[in-house]
Amino acid sequence: MGKARKPIQIVILFLILLLGGYAIGTSVFGGDGKPHEGSKAPSFELLGLDGLTHTLDEYMGQPVVLNFWGSWCGPCVKEMPALQAQYEKWKDEGVVVVGVNVGEDQMTVENFVKLVDINFPVIMDTGRDAVRSYGVSPLPTTVFIDGKGKVDSIHIGQLDLDSLEAQIGKLVDP
Amino acid sequence: MTSKEPLVSNTKCECGHQNPVGTVLCEACGKPLDEKELGAEGNLEMRYDGVARRSQRVNPGLIDRVWNFFSSVKIAIYLIVLTLLGSMLGTIFPQESTFLNIDASTYYKETYGRAGNIYYKLGLSHTYESWWFVTLLVMIGASLVICSLDRVLPLYKALTRQKVRKHRQFLTRQKAVLVTPLTAEPEAWVAGLIEPLKKKGYRVKIDGSALLAEKHRFSRWGPYVIHIGLIIFLLAVLARGLPGLNMDQHLAFQQGEATRIPDTTYYLKNEQFTVEFYSDEEMPEEFRGKKVLPKLYETKAVLYECTADCTDPSREPQLSEVTSHDIRVNSPLSYKGLKAYQFDYDLTPVLRSVQPVLVNTATGEGYSKFRLDMKNPERTFQSGPYTLSLKEKYMDFGLNDEGQPASKSPYPNAPAFLFLITGPGLPEEGQQYFYFPKQLDKEQFQQQAINDRLGGSGRFLELEVQDMSDVDFAASTSYLNIRIDRAMPFVWVGAGIVMLGLILGFYWQHRRIWLRVEDGELVLGGHTNKNWFGFRREIVAILQKVDLIVDEKSLDNGGGLA
Repeated sequence: MGKARKPIQIVILFLILLLGGYAIGTSVFGGDGKPHEGSKAPSFELLGLDGLTHTLDEYMGQPVVLNFWGSWCGPCVKEMPALQAQYEKWKDEGVVVVGVNVGEDQMTVENFVKLVDINFPVIMDTGRDAVRSYGVSPLPTTVFIDGKGKVDSIHIGQLDLDSLEAQIGKLVDP
Repeated sequence: MTSKEPLVSNTKCECGHQNPVGTVLCEACGKPLDEKELGAEGNLEMRYDGVARRSQRVNPGLIDRVWNFFSSVKIAIYLIVLTLLGSMLGTIFPQESTFLNIDASTYYKETYGRAGNIYYKLGLSHTYESWWFVTLLVMIGASLVICSLDRVLPLYKALTRQKVRKHRQFLTRQKAVLVTPLTAEPEAWVAGLIEPLKKKGYRVKIDGSALLAEKHRFSRWGPYVIHIGLIIFLLAVLARGLPGLNMDQHLAFQQGEATRIPDTTYYLKNEQFTVEFYSDEEMPEEFRGKKVLPKLYETKAVLYECTADCTDPSREPQLSEVTSHDIRVNSPLSYKGLKAYQFDYDLTPVLRSVQPVLVNTATGEGYSKFRLDMKNPERTFQSGPYTLSLKEKYMDFGLNDEGQPASKSPYPNAPAFLFLITGPGLPEEGQQYFYFPKQLDKEQFQQQAINDRLGGSGRFLELEVQDMSDVDFAASTSYLNIRIDRAMPFVWVGAGIVMLGLILGFYWQHRRIWLRVEDGELVLGGHTNKNWFGFRREIVAILQKVDLIVDEKSLDNGGGLA
């Protein structure tokens, strides 16, 4: 036993370190599973207003502004012009603005898009899957995702034109 | 390991055995190794049979120091006490993890004042998930493993390599001792003891005129079996954090709709929810008219599994029924580790669809009825010669800040529809018509007045629901707690092993009797870990079989009263 003693000690201590590190690590860093600044943006697979299925992966390499909204939410309506303006301004730089409607049906979304006159891509989260995986609670919530698929920042509440511009600028030219 | 004395010098016993550093009693003959201890009186320290723990060594390195830290029982007790104190902190106010729809950032301050706010700010609102609590648990786990390994191996070695002939002092300093003159021929007398000992279940070894009898050694492994169980328990609890092993969510199931359970391929349909209350006659006198006591909460649930098109949002998932159950309190639906418990309910009816008919109020003529869904309705309808195209839809009708019609929420609380009707007798561009399916909303929002304004005084068309059977609504919403806990079997296995270890250690005692007959004298020493009273009686009974009558109390060498 004498010779094997040290390696066994090292192996056991290493295992304890590994398991313990994992346990403590998950309790320190976002054990709640919600994304936070710097973490990987959760993927989604949602039906777009264009009738096609959209995923986050198809925008890989492009900065993405993910705006969660509902037609019944006042601040969401008010920030739409700012989003549309920034979409037009930055789309040549590869920035994608995606509106994620939360839990409403196609007709409501179509009418809303027509009403507020936006033409950036809109996808529908009818089952609130993306809402859950992004941990969105109040609307509107906007998630800024950089080209590497990492969450750059999360904005809760109504956006204004200037801060939106600054945040997109940070995504494009960090 | 605090002693700086050179322990190496005196580890070789006079019997010739070379003992490792830290040995208290010679591994071979049991003679106390420490000079001071040799000259002392009283009982010997028999813990781990006096062998050195594995970690006891000279010049410990870094790894040895870490190992020694966790190997210490004193440290383990401190860790356990700290964990207990920490756990107590978590019981002062409710934990965040038990909240469903409460905003923790304001809850503590509002409910418990400043103390609550401090509690929240200190992070004690999630004590059991905090880094320091988890660190304590990990350290206890490490201590369990290392303490056990450090002791069980030397003890195992010591107990499997026991020498029959022990040092005289080893015998006379046990807690059960007999020294008495004996004239009989030594070897024959000792051989005569074998049968009575075996009858009592002892395994006997003889070395000339010395004897070692031993039984129930396995009970010594009890504590280590407990530790193995605890380690499995801790690992299982740790594994719950891995994805897919644990799920605990509260979901709403509207009657009649198969609703997906997130992160699974299952769909659950609430076919009917029932709540019953005790009638006045069923209740005791003092409750009558004062209390409402529920008798039954029941959700008739059907569980489906998605078989195809599960993730593609552009297609309808294909479901096949896997099981069904009437969920009641304490009677969850259970399928392959997934459990659905009754949790809450809401009896507010939710409108799903209506089938109105278009009526010509001038002639009284009614046209064909059509189905108008609240969610994803058709866009055009035909009723008689008239075409109705749906222009706007509001789920929860109201006016926004600008006085424009808008939905106040995504829920069909006050649904409203704006149609453009075209057909005979109507203007070329059609006539707008506002329709509120709920009677209450018709009056509150003055459907009549709105339509009069939109269509003018000459309008003659109305949408009417003629029968309640044309109204489809979900009568209830049942809230279920959906749980998956795949680590649970391992928790039970761990707990079972702990129980086994407890039984091993509690219900049996490791009993040993050493004796040697020399120079006309019998020297007997006995050791057990508890129930010394029973042990002494057993020794007396065995000696009686060879006609040696001994007083039970005279065996007591002090310290063995338990």
